[in-house]
Amino acid sequence: MENFVFSSRAKTVTGGLALIGLVLLVASYFVDGGEGHHMRFWTNLLHNSVFFIGISFMACFAYAAFTTAYAGWFVQFKRVWEAFGMFLLPGLFLMGVIIVGLWTGAHHMYHWNDAEAVATDAILKHKSAFLNPVWYTGATIGFMGLWYFFISRIRQISIDEDKNGTTAYEHHARIKKYAAPFLIILGFTTAAVIWQWIMSLDAHWYSTMFAWYASASLFVAMTALTIMLLIYLKSRGYFPGINAEHFHDLGKYLFAISIFWTYVWFSQFMLIWYGNVGEETIYFRTRMDNYPVLFWGNLLLNFIAPFFILMRNDTKRKFGTLFFASAIVFFGHWFDFFNMIKPAARETLTHMTHDAGGHGDEEHATMDAAGHGDDHAAADDGHATASHDDGHAAEGHGDDHAAAGHGEGHESTRVFLPYKAGYTIPGLLEIGIFLGFLGGFLFFVLSMLTKAPLEPKKDPYFEESLHHHT
Amino acid sequence: MAEVMSTERNILFGLYDDEVKLLDAVKAANAAHLNIDEVYTPFPVHGLDPLLGLEESRLHIAGFIFGTIGCLFGFGFMTWVFTRDWPIIFGGKPYWSVPAFIPITFELTVLFAAVGMVLVFYIICGLGPGAEPRRLHDRITDDKFCIAFDATDLASGAVDDLKGYFSKTGAESVHSKMVPA
Repeated sequence: MENFVFSSRAKTVTGGLALIGLVLLVASYFVDGGEGHHMRFWTNLLHNSVFFIGISFMACFAYAAFTTAYAGWFVQFKRVWEAFGMFLLPGLFLMGVIIVGLWTGAHHMYHWNDAEAVATDAILKHKSAFLNPVWYTGATIGFMGLWYFFISRIRQISIDEDKNGTTAYEHHARIKKYAAPFLIILGFTTAAVIWQWIMSLDAHWYSTMFAWYASASLFVAMTALTIMLLIYLKSRGYFPGINAEHFHDLGKYLFAISIFWTYVWFSQFMLIWYGNVGEETIYFRTRMDNYPVLFWGNLLLNFIAPFFILMRNDTKRKFGTLFFASAIVFFGHWFDFFNMIKPAARETLTHMTHDAGGHGDEEHATMDAAGHGDDHAAADDGHATASHDDGHAAEGHGDDHAAAGHGEGHESTRVFLPYKAGYTIPGLLEIGIFLGFLGGFLFFVLSMLTKAPLEPKKDPYFEESLHHHT
Repeated sequence: MAEVMSTERNILFGLYDDEVKLLDAVKAANAAHLNIDEVYTPFPVHGLDPLLGLEESRLHIAGFIFGTIGCLFGFGFMTWVFTRDWPIIFGGKPYWSVPAFIPITFELTVLFAAVGMVLVFYIICGLGPGAEPRRLHDRITDDKFCIAFDATDLASGAVDDLKGYFSKTGAESVHSKMVPA
């Protein structure tokens, strides 16, 4: 079997999905009356861009890690991961749109980009050395460009190996020389960009586990998509050498990293909860109170479901069950990112609408008490001093007030927000945009696969991959 | 076998020095419809189980059951201790602080599953302290791979066939040994 042939039916399906997704994305610009600088549109764009860039990034990571570790079993389908990695270029374009929005003020997702808020907010001012448009732009373009340089060089050498590869395997040695430093670069830069892209949506909040958490999430999503794509390609008659053994190993990755994700999911909570880091509990408080479907559904989709489906040996070896589990966790980790992004965006939205509107609002007052007092209090002369103090106490900045603030204000500081389409749970628009991005991603990946022979027959590990046995 | 049951079995076995030779020999035995009694290897050999037609081990079912017991025991015990027996406040947390129980519950799940599986494995295989080791040849636990046939009721012609099979498939040496049935 030589190159992949992108059938017109597959083109219609993936391209059609991408087109529908684009239409829905544009539609989401106009829903909610463009509330909060079209917050719903921008967060949908950010959510899906980051999710698919992350998948592409994780494919690079797996590729570099396996190559450096002398792994042979994955070599048969390494073109698929190379193709995933090439999506970084369109991904950079998508992030470019968000960067343009950042500079022109077209969106207001990032509270730290509001110069007025930063000027009066000690926390934001303190963080502004890192959370600023220059860093955001530089990190996004610089780091993604660096990743793209490495993966495109690796792909170039890998494809050249098919034509000019020798038994001395000097191509493989060259790929290794790129893969090893690439691994280090990926390890450090991913944390920096994920803090910028997603964690800073909760501008006051931070968690040392966040980069791990997002990375684990993306690794599972990448493995799930790889499994589903390989099952599709096998059903079309490609990859005759890939059998239940390879899927068994991919299934183990899916299972193991799902458990790792759960470990990090819990640890992020545990460190804050058990360490009495009161000011950081806000992330969980808002999500548990107002987004129980997101918060607990996340655990159901990404831990309970894969844990029980994939625990048995044979479910990892059967295409049906493996595809089913992959589809669940693939959606599950998209859902996980929804949980990271949307509640944070809604909070920013709440502040924006209240800034524009009246001050005597009950919801606003309770929000302040819940620990957001200092966002507004200084600029907000309409607020009672008591409310301001409460806010500080709950945040744990006023040391002498902290204990009292925690004790007396426990029940009264909880805020219950009403249901809001596109924020509380993913709406039809969000699902449609997700499928659209998926279609676009697959269209790109499948077109990339047509450009080089699917099986790297001259890779030194190709033979080992054929005889892989778990 | 209407007469008296024999209390000993005569095992005819060949030793191989390489796992690839062993796998090829098992394939040859299957092709010749030879009835292999058992195969002994110093380490797990990939691809041997399907060739011998072995079913998947059911040991992990025991593991799941023991794990579930450990999970419930750990969580239940901590719940009892911290709500009924000896409630203590840690760091201002409630008595029944579930998140704090999770790591210990997890560890007890793993501990029960692991220890339980080892015990079940020992009982099934008749291993353990004081058990008499039953091995055909000392070097099977070191660097030799063994295919064994039950030659108790075989005619001498059939035994010669087996010896011919061993030499043809590259066995290093062929031995015969009486073992308890």
